[in-house]
Amino acid sequence: MSKDEWEAEWERVLWKKKPYPDNYVPRSFLSSLSKNPNFKPYTYWQLVILSCSISQHLASIYVFLAVFMGLRQRLLDPRALVWISVGVFFTGYAIWEILERGRADSTVRTTNRAKTVKGSILVFLALMSLSPVLKTLTAATSSDSIWALSASLFILNALLADYTALRPQSHRRERLTSVLSMNAAISSSVVLASRLSDDISVFGLILFSVQTFALFPMLRRRIQDTAKPLQILVTILLCGLSIALTYPLSSTATYLYIACYTFVTFVAPGMLVWAQRFKNEIRGTWDPAVPKVYRRLSVSR
Amino acid sequence: MGINIAMVCDFFHPGVGGVENHIYMLSANLIRSGHKVIAITHSHPPDRVGVRWLLPSLKVYYIPFPTIASSATLPNYFTFLPYLRTIVLREDIQLIHGHASLSSLAHEGILHAHLMGVRTVFTDHSLFGFDDAASILTNKLLEAALRNVDAAICVSHTGRENTVLRARIPPERVHVIPNALVAEQFRPSPVPPGGDTITVIVLSRLAYRKGIDLLVATAPRICARFPNVRFVIGGDGPKMIDLLQMREKYLLQDRIAILGPVRHSDVRNVLVQGSIYMNTSLTESFGIAILEAACAGLYVVSTRVGGVPEILPEDTISFANPDEDDVVRAMSEAIELVSAGKHDPLRAHERIKDFYDWKEVTKRTEAVYESVLESEPCDFWTRLQRTLDLGRFAGIIFAIILLVDCLFYMFLDWYLPEDELDMVEMHWEPEHFQEAVDEYEHSKKSETA
Repeated sequence: MSKDEWEAEWERVLWKKKPYPDNYVPRSFLSSLSKNPNFKPYTYWQLVILSCSISQHLASIYVFLAVFMGLRQRLLDPRALVWISVGVFFTGYAIWEILERGRADSTVRTTNRAKTVKGSILVFLALMSLSPVLKTLTAATSSDSIWALSASLFILNALLADYTALRPQSHRRERLTSVLSMNAAISSSVVLASRLSDDISVFGLILFSVQTFALFPMLRRRIQDTAKPLQILVTILLCGLSIALTYPLSSTATYLYIACYTFVTFVAPGMLVWAQRFKNEIRGTWDPAVPKVYRRLSVSR
Repeated sequence: MGINIAMVCDFFHPGVGGVENHIYMLSANLIRSGHKVIAITHSHPPDRVGVRWLLPSLKVYYIPFPTIASSATLPNYFTFLPYLRTIVLREDIQLIHGHASLSSLAHEGILHAHLMGVRTVFTDHSLFGFDDAASILTNKLLEAALRNVDAAICVSHTGRENTVLRARIPPERVHVIPNALVAEQFRPSPVPPGGDTITVIVLSRLAYRKGIDLLVATAPRICARFPNVRFVIGGDGPKMIDLLQMREKYLLQDRIAILGPVRHSDVRNVLVQGSIYMNTSLTESFGIAILEAACAGLYVVSTRVGGVPEILPEDTISFANPDEDDVVRAMSEAIELVSAGKHDPLRAHERIKDFYDWKEVTKRTEAVYESVLESEPCDFWTRLQRTLDLGRFAGIIFAIILLVDCLFYMFLDWYLPEDELDMVEMHWEPEHFQEAVDEYEHSKKSETA
């Protein structure tokens, strides 16, 4: 029997008895294979805009480090830092309220406001009473270990941070990684603060770290959802601030920061755009189907 | 002259499932047609250890390896060799047949086989994706294992395409041989389930891949639409809670019976209680459960996934897309068709019972074995070259494994030379059995006379 006859006989069924051998490869073999079916290539500038949130997060870490060095070398008055923190808090909250306007209804916003006031007073008082304890927390540990520990915790913080935009309607819970990220940053600032010499500096630094690592990411993610110019403006301001604060302390660190920003904002998106040419996603009838269900009782998998 | 075959797989009796059943049925039928078959699997402590015999003279070696998850052993590439070498040499094995792509014992068996001059066949039973970390890793392991396999068998055309892509092997080395079932075990009940009530049967592992979310979403809608429909759901798994919640939420306790785990020997008795079988799987390589239900005379409604469209003629099964509305549509049509009496279970059974047969499957598998034994084995350098072709990193890793494996084999050869091994002697052969049967019948005849 010839190959043509086999080809004519071939059917994609298993229940019929067929004349061709079991390893016969029909012409339609792999005809249902599709490559990169829902592939939307990224464009360079779109990725640059998306990378802004990473730059902002890195900038906030660098600003925090600069503030710490300022306190440690007594270049910055801790009282001024406390006032700056309070000022930044009110500015940030005002921006939040403006962005929130028209999104939630007024009763919800009033209760939210009451919660915020209560929460911020509690944090303020708790930090104030805890700062003498925190000051001596790591007295028995050498500074070298502290630098290494805080560096690794900040790296963890940057890796796990949530860089997605905060959609107004989504009230879903925080992801585990973003909670871990915040905890890493706060622990890192606690161990750094324990290197400072007086209570008010410790208090000022921890207060500032709560602003930078707990509250600012929320605002950052909300800003990400608004107009692009605002986002770019915030990024430039933050990066500029971090460089301006660091330059008097160390020029090497400043150059490193600039290299870091350039890489994250301009080089990395270019690399991703280049790497897209290797994308090879194969789809076919063997793929597990995605069930379309409207009323879902649970999301367990 | 029969071939001496070793079935190697992590998944075997006393575990239960499609793969386990397939290996057992294939071995039993190969033994019947005069081959010698042994099975090698990992032990199930405390009581399933050592060497055991299963019914038609199938010897099972239970290797003392611990399992990591769902009855699979850790892929460690070397520890199996001392066991395998002794077994293969003592039993005079000519061919190793590995099963299931997640079974590391099967992979190892294929890796070691060439050292003893044994040929290899591999059967892949399942479908895998390409886009998650677990698939990428297991696909690479499979590719490495199948680099030097002599032939592969898949259970459906979809499975074959999947395996060819995953393991990057030439398609003409892959054979399509379907699964089979014993049709006599799935006879419809002589009295069809009467009355106005239409019973829908679902028998499945209750897991995400089996599409239980679709079942949970559609069952209440179907119950609301057809007051005469009831469900019987058998099986167990992580999605059991969702099912129970659904039943409670819609107050369907009297219309949805949840049986829990069902033994394979009881499957037929559950099936014949109903007239429609519903399958909502999201991926399925062959779908033996669908075939069993269709053979037992049930009207089958299934999602159109994987190899399911290949197993039955279009007019004996009705398909739905994996989407809630479409499943409800297909089920409604099926319920109307069955209540109008247009589906005759006995006729469906008569039609389906001859589609699949273990004898046929065995014959086709034997043909694969023969072609493998006739072909020229590839030499060591070809093997090494092929292994290096795996990839820039994986190639080197697996080439090192291959080389170390050879050194390990040389050490074993020195430590336990082949001529010091006790060969297994089978005193029991099919001819003896036939003689015994003849003798028995003869004596019976003379007694009656």
